[in-house]
Amino acid sequence: MRSSFGVTSTMAEESPLLLSLVEEFVSGQQDSKAKEAAKGVKDGQFTMLQLVEALGGSLTSSQPHTRARGVQLLSDVLQENYADLTEREVEVLIAFYENRLKDHHVVTPPVLRGLQALTKCTALPPGSAVSMLRSVFQDVHVQSLMLTERGCVYNMLINLMETREAELKGLGADFVFGFVQSMDGERDPRNLLLAFQIANNIILGGYSLGKFTEELFEVTSCYFPIDFTPPPNDPHGITKEELILALRTVLTGTPSFAEFLLPLIIEKMDSDIQSAKLDSLQTLAACGSKYDHRDLAEFLQGLWTSLRREVFQTSSEKIESAALTALTALTSCLSRSVVNSDSEDTLITLLDLVLTDCKHHLCEPDLKLVWPSAKLLQAACSASNRASHIITAAVMPSLIEQYNSRTQCSHRRTLLEVVQRFIKSVKTNTSSDTDESVLSAYRAALCSMVFSALSESNSSLQITATTVLTSLIQHKGLLLDSDVGLAVDHLTRLLLTEEDESVSSAVVECAGALAELHPAALITKLIPKLKEEMFSDPRENSEMNSHHAMRQRCLSALAAVSLQPSVVFESTPVLLQVLSSAHTDGARFSVDEVVLACRSLQRIAEQVQDTEETGRCFHDNIIPRLLSLALQAALQNEGSSGHRSPLTEEVFLSALVPVISTSCSRLQPKLAGQTAARAVSLFLDGDVSFLPDNSFPSHIQLLTKQQEESWSRSQLVCLLMACVCSLPRSVEVPQMERLLFQLEELSCSCSHLLSYTSAAKCFAGLINKRPLGNSLDDLIQTTMKRVCSELGCTSSPVRIQAFTLMTWVAKALLLRYHPLFSLLTDKLFSLLDDPDLGPMAADSFSLLMSDSADVLNRGCHADVRIMYRQRFFSENSAKLVQGFNAAPQEKKSNYLKALSNIVNELPKQVQVSELPALLSLILEALTCPDQSVQLSTLSCLEPVLMNPPQVLIQQLEALVSRLLALLCSPAMKIRIASVRCIHALSQFPVHEVLPFRARVLRALAQALDDKKRLVRREAVHARGAWFLLGSPGGR
Amino acid sequence: HQAALRLLGQGGGSSSSPATRLSAHPDSRCWFVAWSPNGTLLASCGGDKAIRIWGREGDSWVCKSVLEDGHQRTVRKVAWSPCGNYLASASFDATTCIWKKNNEGFESLTVLEGHENEVKCVAWAPSGNLLATCSRDKSVWIWEVDEEDEYECVTVLNSHTQDVKHVAWHPTRELLASASYDNNICIYKEEDDDWECRATLEGHTSTVWSLCFDATGQRMASCSDDRTVKIWKEYPSESGDTSWKCVCTLSGYHGRTVYDVSWCPLTGALATACGDDAVRVFREDVTSNPEEPVFSLVAQVTKAHNQDVNCASWNPKEAGILASCSDNGELAIWRFKED
Amino acid sequence: MVGWVQMENANPVIFQRCRDRPLTASEEDEDLHLIRSINDPEHPLSLEELNVVEQVRVKVNDAESTVGVEFTPTIPHCSMATLIGLSIKVKLLRSLPDRFKIDVHITPGTHASEEAVNKQLADKERVAAALENSSLLEVVNQCLSSRNI
Repeated sequence: MRSSFGVTSTMAEESPLLLSLVEEFVSGQQDSKAKEAAKGVKDGQFTMLQLVEALGGSLTSSQPHTRARGVQLLSDVLQENYADLTEREVEVLIAFYENRLKDHHVVTPPVLRGLQALTKCTALPPGSAVSMLRSVFQDVHVQSLMLTERGCVYNMLINLMETREAELKGLGADFVFGFVQSMDGERDPRNLLLAFQIANNIILGGYSLGKFTEELFEVTSCYFPIDFTPPPNDPHGITKEELILALRTVLTGTPSFAEFLLPLIIEKMDSDIQSAKLDSLQTLAACGSKYDHRDLAEFLQGLWTSLRREVFQTSSEKIESAALTALTALTSCLSRSVVNSDSEDTLITLLDLVLTDCKHHLCEPDLKLVWPSAKLLQAACSASNRASHIITAAVMPSLIEQYNSRTQCSHRRTLLEVVQRFIKSVKTNTSSDTDESVLSAYRAALCSMVFSALSESNSSLQITATTVLTSLIQHKGLLLDSDVGLAVDHLTRLLLTEEDESVSSAVVECAGALAELHPAALITKLIPKLKEEMFSDPRENSEMNSHHAMRQRCLSALAAVSLQPSVVFESTPVLLQVLSSAHTDGARFSVDEVVLACRSLQRIAEQVQDTEETGRCFHDNIIPRLLSLALQAALQNEGSSGHRSPLTEEVFLSALVPVISTSCSRLQPKLAGQTAARAVSLFLDGDVSFLPDNSFPSHIQLLTKQQEESWSRSQLVCLLMACVCSLPRSVEVPQMERLLFQLEELSCSCSHLLSYTSAAKCFAGLINKRPLGNSLDDLIQTTMKRVCSELGCTSSPVRIQAFTLMTWVAKALLLRYHPLFSLLTDKLFSLLDDPDLGPMAADSFSLLMSDSADVLNRGCHADVRIMYRQRFFSENSAKLVQGFNAAPQEKKSNYLKALSNIVNELPKQVQVSELPALLSLILEALTCPDQSVQLSTLSCLEPVLMNPPQVLIQQLEALVSRLLALLCSPAMKIRIASVRCIHALSQFPVHEVLPFRARVLRALAQALDDKKRLVRREAVHARGAWFLLGSPGGR
Repeated sequence: HQAALRLLGQGGGSSSSPATRLSAHPDSRCWFVAWSPNGTLLASCGGDKAIRIWGREGDSWVCKSVLEDGHQRTVRKVAWSPCGNYLASASFDATTCIWKKNNEGFESLTVLEGHENEVKCVAWAPSGNLLATCSRDKSVWIWEVDEEDEYECVTVLNSHTQDVKHVAWHPTRELLASASYDNNICIYKEEDDDWECRATLEGHTSTVWSLCFDATGQRMASCSDDRTVKIWKEYPSESGDTSWKCVCTLSGYHGRTVYDVSWCPLTGALATACGDDAVRVFREDVTSNPEEPVFSLVAQVTKAHNQDVNCASWNPKEAGILASCSDNGELAIWRFKED
Repeated sequence: MVGWVQMENANPVIFQRCRDRPLTASEEDEDLHLIRSINDPEHPLSLEELNVVEQVRVKVNDAESTVGVEFTPTIPHCSMATLIGLSIKVKLLRSLPDRFKIDVHITPGTHASEEAVNKQLADKERVAAALENSSLLEVVNQCLSSRNI
């Protein structure tokens, strides 16, 4: 034994522990002893060499199985201890293992494991990598090994390539040959991933392929295209996609493969199997980045023929888009090659092929091939600046000429659409500014084409023309100022006169594009014109409707163009003027228009570039002006009996809140602080000094308890909320204690719905941002005490108010995971049994779980923890189920409603995973007579049905019966929702749902005759899908 | 004339109300119904590939047996043998099945193959020794039945240029009539051991869906997609050939295709089944000239079924009892009463 | 006799698809909508894009429960006319309440075998038999499967 190691041990003493470990492992077949031995070496109880000594007898045994067992123990211990070996030890072990490779085949597996461990050693002596590999290549036939041992060999290669690259390269092409032989015939996906990694390392690492290029290609390309379906419950989780990508990296890794790969791709593109086609196309696209024109030249004709076929006779969108991507990749590859005088320009060669086959189809706008031809040309065009020049020069003149000579609208529209896509696909040279835009030569013709189309009466032509115009505008530096001026004139005209909604929304969008690059033209022409028209009086009553529609378009256009500060300074005064003239003369603008003006202001606040300038504009002008208008309206409403300003309407205030909160939420800290201070002093102290048009009485009370009729004043608390609840958390709100006290007071005493609700929301919005600590806890406890005492007194006139406050505070605490939240939840759950508040309590769960639009959301910088919904659900669903089971029959629907409110708001994947546990309750909810429970249950059921869990399939009978019963609901929404669910069922595994086919078709036949069109429409879709079930050509 | 057609059991004076509207072929079509020769059983067939046998139990009609697995596709028509012990069924699966009645119900006896595609109709000759079938393959086949229940095709007639929708035997003579998609009717007779088309009746302007002889066999009624019913009368000719002339056309009564016509052998009333969902009964005016008979509509149910009515069939033994069936899978039994 | 299936014409004329209609659409629109999305068996385009069905040619009478559709085949000799007609008929059969009588015809003067095609489409027995033919039903179902172009 020692002689086989070639060393003489200096330590003859063998520990009895070690000997017994060896004995128990080798003869006793106790695998666990390997771990103990490894630990012993690690802990220094004995050395590697002592282990070798102790193994002595088994390693020289005449029984191959005993020898194998001995080597196995050594290898197992090595796995854990390779890092600590000295170079000398490594050298000895390698020599031993290499020698053992020639031993009986049962010894080979543990030997390979040992060698694999050794390849990870940092102390690998020079030359040992080469020697190990030579031995393996020479003595082992890899493909006759078991799966794990084959993996060992691949891992050895990977390890050595990582650390001993230079040495391995010294082997020259022999290394590649050895590898090719090792992997030839590999079938296991795990090992294939390793083998592909090695092949990729070889290619990327610049190993010499020598005369084995084709062999390496053959041994890997034989898997192309990958056809692999992972077995069910595959523990390794290897996907087809992974294998495809790994192989693709290898095949496209080097241009040396080009001559073999390209013919293969051409062949496989012809396959009937969709996935093979797709893989071939994607692989071809990947070649584009590695190859140059010389690699491709010979195959261009063949490649083009295949690509053309895939687009001309496409069977799926996926294939088509892959083919187009591949064409773009090829074209851009050829574009990279520098043309020298004596070589053929391959880019021209390819583009000639494309043009020859496609260009003439562009002249047939009434035939089907116009689209695939245009797509192919555009794919080539988008590849490079040079390709853009060539293609554009070839097609643009004829397209323009066609457009001018055709008279039929549908032809002209098709041509315009084709032109638009060319404009979008043109690649402008970004590197040099001096380079003329590809489109410059056609600028005048394109503009006149667009302007002529915009003057047509056909709305689809107009829409297409605006999209062309948008694309032209987006080409920086293409249009002249005079073009822009004309464009603005056309857009203005269309905005003012065109009634078709889809035209005007296209025009508004185009104006938005124009605003980004040419604000000046809008400021001088569009905005003044829109203002003039909006403030003009309709000449006759009959024009009222169209006048209103025109104003709507103008208002949304003003918002769309307000992207840059310079435009905002011009557009916002117009919108404010709409509000103030509505206030002074109620007949001038309708409430609708006032609300639209607010929406436009809100949109501007959301989209405007965040600059100091715009912040000031909102802080100095817009917010004070809005507050002032609302206050004037409120005071005027109290004073006079007859005239009521539209600005006191709840819809107006609700539209105003997001304007203020959006702009406040975006203010710089300093301005935000000022806004907070101003708002607080206005509401607490009646300080009106910062308001413009200041003709207010000197001491206005806004929050303190007032007479009942002063609701128009108390409801302004929603504007306070907009100001102070949307600020960044770092901004301090002054006089917080007093403010909270007043808000609580108002919310618990006022009888006006908007007022007490807004006060509660404002209170909650502030609580949510208060730092954790005793003062917050005390505040919550005090408030809860008050709330509970009101709730406890069934005769209290403000029970609903107290309940509202509690719900909002609960939401504020839930969002931030405040520990006191459970106090409030328990109270809420207990209220589900309350005879008066039960249904409201059930509804309040919807409020807790859903996003609130104007307060307590991330936009308002509220403290919102991620996954608070899931957390709430997981903490409370059991309580709900218990409560349901314990509740008296007449109260059960409150629990179901609460449940469906909660489940409805959960993210879909959580619904899917949680639903099984709740399924019986959900099915119960479907039979609950409460329509809102039915509806919300259906709406949370539908997405779950898209990907049904097994437990649902087991309950199919009950589910189908209940859904079919709901088809006869008196509520249209429920009928629609149940039809949709039934539709979703048709996508279940065919054998599961087929037994229900006749019954469902019969039930849906009734729905086809529903008196509501929307129900009929859903029923048509659902019934069509069920008909296809189990039918040839269907499912 | 005062006449009425009522669902059996409705307003008929009987206190009990037997089920006379039956969902015979649920979720499918009921194509055809046929009374057994003694009038006690009713066979129905449909798109569900099944045949059902209905009989009276007490006051109600119940399904006595279901004949399944005989056909792979729609069973288009069924016919009872004159002895009432056999049932023949024609199917879109290109076969005709012969079923034999036994103690438990019916057993499949033999399958007649030969037609290229859908068999549209099957009919037994009054002797019970001959069977006729017709098909979309444009042909009419005549089969001979021997004592051992063996069937042999004796002739294939190719007189039509389009698919053949219906075949019917003369009540007393060995004379066969067929109706076709080519708008014509053909009359066949055996001559010198050879079957031949002896007359082609032209007159309908669209598909002739069905036809039927009266009790004597001197006249025949046909119905068509042209929304008319025609009455044909036989005139002996010197050559021995039969000659049939249209003596009456009932037009203006039917709103859509007339799918079936049945001439009651007991009362002479003529019933029609129509694609406008109605069942109608016509009667010959007794005073009218037999060479130019006049038929009047004496009863109709406009919504007899809520979809197309495919078949109408008089009970051969009980006067005034009429069965009908529809695309909605229903069959209904009516009582026709004249006051 | 007119058969059900054959293939031709690789580069057919196309028409623009109507924009989606507002919800207040009439019965005709609704039924045209049903047919619009049917795919031509030969081409990956919907029937409306191919202009084989036109809005004006759908007549619905809700009170009398009748629907009449006249469709225009792509070309006067289009051998797919019967199959297109069959698909339209099946789509309507599946989508309309049972009470409706459905008549599908070729627009007069737009097809060489107009009468033969109309007669075949009107023959419910032949339609029923066609739909029991699984390869034919497969083509029809494919025409009726929703597909994105």
